[in-house]
Amino acid sequence: MKFKQQDPANLQQQTTPMIDVTFQLLTFFMMTLKISSPEGDFNINMPPAGAGAAAVDQLFPDIKVRLIANANGGLANLRLGERSLGNDALCFQRLNDEILQLIGQPGAARVKELEVEIDADYNLHFENVVKTIGACSGRLAKDGKTVIRYLEKIKFAQPRKNPDV
Amino acid sequence: MKIKSHPMASAEMDMTPMMDVTFQLIAFFMMVTNFEQTQADERVRLAADALAKPPEVKLAHELVINIGYRRNKEGNKVDDQPFVFVPGEELRIPEFRNRLKQEAQLYQVKAVKLEDVTVVIRADADVPAGQVQEFIQMSQEAKFEKFALKAKQTAD
Repeated sequence: MKFKQQDPANLQQQTTPMIDVTFQLLTFFMMTLKISSPEGDFNINMPPAGAGAAAVDQLFPDIKVRLIANANGGLANLRLGERSLGNDALCFQRLNDEILQLIGQPGAARVKELEVEIDADYNLHFENVVKTIGACSGRLAKDGKTVIRYLEKIKFAQPRKNPDV
Repeated sequence: MKIKSHPMASAEMDMTPMMDVTFQLIAFFMMVTNFEQTQADERVRLAADALAKPPEVKLAHELVINIGYRRNKEGNKVDDQPFVFVPGEELRIPEFRNRLKQEAQLYQVKAVKLEDVTVVIRADADVPAGQVQEFIQMSQEAKFEKFALKAKQTAD
């Protein structure tokens, strides 16, 4: 019996539909791609005023950080207790250094009891508060990834509308 | 005269390298695409800090609040007062008080303890700190206890 031999050129699979679908997929992913910078969290635990925890006597006094705003909402002065740390680009770094001096050794049991109270003027831009929380929370290790924690307990003072109060 | 017909040379291009590259591109885009539905509002311009690290464990229950400004195409503020952006709505911060109470009730209906719910505040860098604090106080009145302030991660 004689078999008719097919031309090997015709045996090739039809790739056109696959290419079509592949390009459609590629277009879809390219169109829907949204590049966004990663976001991080600063956790704040603030039970309602009058809750049981608030009545507990504190072993250590709060570390008070005062943020004074200028008329435009920018930072006019950053104070740690009564000490002025200025308002330049390095003031938050100075705050970070001062906090380290205050706590001594990061991670110690005593340090976990310490609490920072951030007292910011009402009209101060929120970014200054975020930078203050960052400066009080810790610093990055030399590897640029590991966070060395300073203070974990952060709370806010009552918002003050009049900066002079 | 008899003309001998030559078999036609194949005009098909070799598509294999192109397909390889295309599949690699698809694999890349699939890897970098985030399919998770985030509740982040693009109008909010977050403050940046090097210590703002993405959480290692996903929060069990989170209520994401976007506080920002109406801005024009150039990115300038159109309105001096910030808004709370909710899908399809823009509310002033004091107007959100009742919505917070409703959210709290909703969690209670779902048998979720409010102390397990984190209010994630995505506030614009230019929002007055006092208004964010007022929002936190409003949330406390609605019995929320845990808060997370979002910030953009910077490299330095």
